[in-house]
Amino acid sequence: MDGGMKMILQITNLRKQFPKENGSLVAIDDFNLEVEEGEFVCILGPSGCGKTTLLRMIAGLDKPTSGSIKLKGKEIANTGPDRGMVFQEFALFPWRSVRKNIEFGLEIKNMPAAERHKISDKYIELVGLKGFEDSHPYELSGGMKQRVGIARALANNPSILLMDEPFGALDAQTRNQMQKELLRVWEETRKTVVFITHSVDEAVFLADRVVVLTSRPSKIKEIFKIEHERPRDRADPSFLALRKKILSELESEANQPSK
Amino acid sequence: MPAICFIFLPIKYYYVRTHDEGVAVNKLNKFPKMLTRMRDGFLLNIGFAVLSIAIFLVIWYGLSIFLDTAYLPTPVEVWDALVDSFNTPDPSLGVTMWDSIMASLKRFVIGFVLALAIAVPIGLIMGFSKFAGMIGKPIVEVFRPIPPIAWVPFLFVVTGMIWGPILAIFIGVLFPVLSNVIFGVKSVEPQLIDAARTQGASKSDLFAKVVFPYTIPYMMTGIRIGLGIGWMCIVAAEMIGARGGGVGIYILTQANIGRYDYMFAGMVVIAALGLLTVEAASYVERRVSKWMGA
Repeated sequence: MDGGMKMILQITNLRKQFPKENGSLVAIDDFNLEVEEGEFVCILGPSGCGKTTLLRMIAGLDKPTSGSIKLKGKEIANTGPDRGMVFQEFALFPWRSVRKNIEFGLEIKNMPAAERHKISDKYIELVGLKGFEDSHPYELSGGMKQRVGIARALANNPSILLMDEPFGALDAQTRNQMQKELLRVWEETRKTVVFITHSVDEAVFLADRVVVLTSRPSKIKEIFKIEHERPRDRADPSFLALRKKILSELESEANQPSK
Repeated sequence: MPAICFIFLPIKYYYVRTHDEGVAVNKLNKFPKMLTRMRDGFLLNIGFAVLSIAIFLVIWYGLSIFLDTAYLPTPVEVWDALVDSFNTPDPSLGVTMWDSIMASLKRFVIGFVLALAIAVPIGLIMGFSKFAGMIGKPIVEVFRPIPPIAWVPFLFVVTGMIWGPILAIFIGVLFPVLSNVIFGVKSVEPQLIDAARTQGASKSDLFAKVVFPYTIPYMMTGIRIGLGIGWMCIVAAEMIGARGGGVGIYILTQANIGRYDYMFAGMVVIAALGLLTVEAASYVERRVSKWMGA
């Protein structure tokens, strides 16, 4: 890629297989990807392919069978606060208030309360949760829960934000709203984002690059660079054309029996 | 008479509400605050509880008249005995009901606290560590089916009259708390563990900041069940033998000297104590599970 850009994430020859009754199941094979600092990458693939497994390996929650994942040139060996993760089912701590959820990682770093408070204030403001600091997750709607999830991941000031179908559990309207909000947050924080989705529309709306995966074992099928200015217009003919192209790419993959 | 109105009022409106939705809503909106609250079922429940106890007392009264009031005293006689037992020291024991309650309560609290202090950490460890769970589970499974009362004679022999009843409660409370804590730890959502790990949590952070708080409502369920069992244990254990009085000893003594109205008064006291502690525990349990968002 362009020499001036800094690669923050480098994945080379990644392979992941799970033991199965007879033999093993290869989820990801021969996977290579580099992500630039500040880039928004969407990973798109048929359901059941290794998308989530890939993200979990970057997070350090799962270990690769072979190959390497490097963040800022350092091999990933375990989970760490330098990678923030946002989960599809929110995964908020139900006994903690919004503020306490967001401060979780800071508590673990043993940051003094006053400092924690300042940081959580900043992210509460950023994701638009002002006035809900003391609410508990059960009092919030799905969209608001995920705002907490995003703020919690950002509060640790990670180098990269990993998002596993974060809006998959939301209704269509909330989902569109949250996509816009996420872009606003992204533009303000300039974090690198790796975003998993199975929605072509979402990927084209959000990403700098859309990485389309094959069905199992997942490899990269094609990478689309999306150069449309943001905010993108979903009704724009070129947006629709791109969407259609990626969709047919994805569908041809979904129709193939997985190996 | 007002008491009867109190019972039937809510029932009437209950039926209005379920059978004629539209009309009832209009009517209910005009109701003063207290009556509107009946809609929420709280007073309705109390109404039924009062009705239920009233039916029980009537049957009791009828039975004792029909049989023999010397062996089955009427509710009125038991009430008189109950009031008297609190006011005047018992002729054969030399203490009032308060003293008996305090003696039982002291044992209860010591046994209960001991059980919590041991069951909670052991349960957390057995749930959290696969190794500890596999070692501990067979032991627990062997000891759990032994009724706590079956331990009492052995405990008397080994620990003497003072610790016997305390340890009976200890065993009665220990197992429900232990198994609920283990179950709670095993129920922790894997996603919460993942989320905490991506936030940089170490294994001890996971334990203190995810597993332990997650287990608290389960612990409360164990405590509520344990409290119910605990009261049964203490009375039985005291009857087998205890030094220093107690409600169980009180009941047994009254039965032996044929003061059946006082014996029943002791049973009423046990019922009230059990009900109070279990209700208090389930109140806390509900608050805690609300706090957990369940």
